[in-house]
Amino acid sequence: MQSYDIIVVGAGILGLSTAYRAQKAGAKVLVLDAGATAYEASSRATGYLSLRGETPAESPLAQEAEKLWDGLDDELGYPTEWTQKGRIWAALDEHEFADLQKLYRTFQKTDVPFEFLDGATMRKMIPCLSERCLGGIWTNRSGHANPQRTSQAFGWAFTDLGGEIREYTPVLEVLVEAGKVKGVRTPQGEIHCGNVALCAAAHNPLLLKPFGIHFPLAPVRLEALVTTPMPPLFEQAFIGNGLSIRQTKRGNIHMNGGPYEWINLEIGREAAKPTTQTVRNIMRRAIETMPVLKGAQFLRCWAGIVDIAPDQMTTIHRFDSPEGLVTAACSGHGFGMSPAVGVAASELLMNGATRMPIEQLSLDRFRDTPSDWRERRRWEAGQYNT
Amino acid sequence: MSSRKIVIAGASDAGFKIALAAHAAGHDVTLVDEHPQALKDMSFDAPWFYGAGLPSALMNDNSIAQSVLEASPQLMECIEAGIDVRVSTVLWGAFRNGPNCLHVGRPKVGLVTREGNEILEHDALIIATGVRDFVPSFKGWELPGVLGGKAGLALLDLYQVFEGKRVVVLGSDELALRVVRSARERGVEVAGIVEPGESVVAGPEAAAWLAAQDIPVHLGQVIAEAIGKTAVTGVKLVSLDNRPSEEIACDTVAVAIATLPNIELPAAMGCEMHYVADAASWIPRTTAQGETSLEGVFWLSDAGGGNGDLHTAILDRIGGAERDSRVTAAPSRKVSATGYITSWIDALHKTGGDDVVLCQCETVSRAEFCGLAPPQYLGKSLRHPQTPLNHGDDATAPRINQDFMKRMTRVSMGHCQGKRCRDEAIFALSLRFGIGLESIRPASYRFPLRPIDLTLIADDDETDDIRLNWQMWPYETRQG
Ligand SMILES: Cc1cc2nc3c(=O)[nH]c(=O)nc-3n(C[C@H](O)[C@H](O)[C@H](O)COP(=O)(O)OP(=O)(O)OC[C@H]3O[C@@H](n4cnc5c(N)ncnc54)[C@H](O)[C@@H]3O)c2cc1C
Repeated sequence: MQSYDIIVVGAGILGLSTAYRAQKAGAKVLVLDAGATAYEASSRATGYLSLRGETPAESPLAQEAEKLWDGLDDELGYPTEWTQKGRIWAALDEHEFADLQKLYRTFQKTDVPFEFLDGATMRKMIPCLSERCLGGIWTNRSGHANPQRTSQAFGWAFTDLGGEIREYTPVLEVLVEAGKVKGVRTPQGEIHCGNVALCAAAHNPLLLKPFGIHFPLAPVRLEALVTTPMPPLFEQAFIGNGLSIRQTKRGNIHMNGGPYEWINLEIGREAAKPTTQTVRNIMRRAIETMPVLKGAQFLRCWAGIVDIAPDQMTTIHRFDSPEGLVTAACSGHGFGMSPAVGVAASELLMNGATRMPIEQLSLDRFRDTPSDWRERRRWEAGQYNT
Repeated sequence: MSSRKIVIAGASDAGFKIALAAHAAGHDVTLVDEHPQALKDMSFDAPWFYGAGLPSALMNDNSIAQSVLEASPQLMECIEAGIDVRVSTVLWGAFRNGPNCLHVGRPKVGLVTREGNEILEHDALIIATGVRDFVPSFKGWELPGVLGGKAGLALLDLYQVFEGKRVVVLGSDELALRVVRSARERGVEVAGIVEPGESVVAGPEAAAWLAAQDIPVHLGQVIAEAIGKTAVTGVKLVSLDNRPSEEIACDTVAVAIATLPNIELPAAMGCEMHYVADAASWIPRTTAQGETSLEGVFWLSDAGGGNGDLHTAILDRIGGAERDSRVTAAPSRKVSATGYITSWIDALHKTGGDDVVLCQCETVSRAEFCGLAPPQYLGKSLRHPQTPLNHGDDATAPRINQDFMKRMTRVSMGHCQGKRCRDEAIFALSLRFGIGLESIRPASYRFPLRPIDLTLIADDDETDDIRLNWQMWPYETRQG
């Protein structure tokens, strides 16, 4: 049986980014996925880089990600459609305005230059924005990219370096011997390695459970849609009226937003991700936000699964026991964080430490999280919009 | 037996028949069909491929509606029987409770017309959506005057607005022969039939009839090009054994090679599918009662869907009979559509070359598609050449993933969502990489089944519950 330095579980964008950095640093890496490459959240995301004004403790890592994004096309050799044109949070009613003012105070705890603007100034930036916009937050930092292209760019850059990806090969169990990682078990047999990186999103907790490790992550299904291409309307990563709305380089308008449903997952099995009639509500909100979208056509909708931690922050953790095990998951903003998470996770695997600012992002912060946290939070499977 | 609310999708022959049977059995039936389509919808070439040359007479909604009624006695019969018939209505989505989705309530379909939309609840859904045109690419296939066999028949017989005077027909199976007959009945000259094989596929009798009618049959040839500047003025043929190429003057090219089942609805709903070579398509697995893997969702294929015994079994099941979980085989056909379509695509790709546009919406060539080239508007290339092949341990796993091809090249990602090109794309991959069609994971179907103006279906009657509880990831949650 062939053996590897590192096996990465999950060919989503976090797994591929980690694998790419590790292979580049000289490790022999194998990526395994239960399904196809980047077929889960990583190809279903809207595509923003969040600078984590919401959770200032991880803002330094997001800013490292931003630096990496700026050079990513050249680094990887494949286009990502990175568009560095800033971000906007717009309020369309008093309630949202009050929320944003509160959020702004949190945002100010980062060293990203956020500004609070009035409605007229916002409309100058985005002329198609509704008259109802009362104002909101803006920064010229950050931007958005194409999740499908970026995930594959990491994938191709990784295999260009000799890395190997095996699809449709679920990991059923991480194998440990004498307190050290020995490999993984798949339906096709065992594969041996010295280190394992668990980048399986909300499947991580299931694979960690046999070791008595509690990684509090709740999976949730949310819905997104895309319209036919429109003339150029705006380039910023836009949030408002309960939606994320992005215009792609091709001109299509992507959007996602509530409602969402908490679910449960099973090891190695693709979860059903149906869409519902509430896409109509997403459309209604989109038109309210940018009336010009009346002229767009609804082209396609889909749902994806996001992995939310109680504090909605990224987790990157290296375990002392078992030795040789690292896990990462990003609470629903892993697309933007992926370049930095890959550096951090690969360095933790290979050097035991990283130059990335992740001190506050380890699993240790959940030491006191009760095992019934989902129940208390009303985030249990079947609960809806809670 | 208690009366159930049944939605039937598709006024195909099977759809009409089961609608009448269900109505007679006392059920509350709504029969939905998208035809006659709005002009804008026709331009998406789904399900019938009209191409760019839509006759202006189609603008007259009233006379079109009248022609449709006259041409379809079954439609009249359903209306007269008192069935709730919705024509010019797109069933754009179907939603039901299931794994990871527990809040839909009763099963629902989304219906939309040019005037507005409705969410219709029901107990059972019968899918009888019939077939769509299969039209492969060739040089000039975007010109007005190129159309599919079903579209041709619709313009000739259903709407009676066919504008062509001289047509060349591609293909020589039953569909092609129907187009020839209908064209002749309406006084349209048939300038020739083109067939890559060595004989007329519909059989010797058909060949003899064509000869008696003086219709030239060009065997061992395919189309090289639809000629014309702003519309078709002729076709150039190419022979598969290096005979000199021929040109035929015509104003219409009817591509009547094959039809494929309209599987968008069951596929998007998540019905379990299997590849059926005879039909050249993935189709839903069904039980002896016509039921798909989803309870209360039935599939009536074009090939076997008119069968009265099957209708009785479906209606018994809807009426409360136990689910019979034995899976039935798909009805077999005289000519395997997979073999016939493969022979066409193989010949077209060998003779037509690599720079023919495969995806009309996004203007992507065959070579750009198979080589995974990024779309031209990005102005970027790949650092190293890449292949779509997946090498895995699992021998049963798909070797190529069409969604991945689509995401990288945008082929099938445009306005028509692959309605024109997705099938050819799979055949092309299969031929080029030597992979069986069933080993290619087909691109996923998603709602809406047709592009729809946002304003037509945006929810105007949003409840306070949705309004007030709307939250959004990942930047905000209400702390409990
Ligand atoms: C609608 C939507 C919009 C979003 N918008 C944004 C956004 O704008 N910005 C942003 O930053 N983020 C966004 N996200 C979140 C983002 O997509 C994710 O955070 C990110 O893709 C996570 O990457 P990942 O690699 O951790 O997970 P995934 O992409 O889900 O990959 C995990 C992989 O692990 C595999 N796997 C699971 N179990 C096993 C096993 N046992 N063995 C082998 N493989 C296994 C899965 O098959 C999967 O491929 C959005 C998500 C959704 C759904």
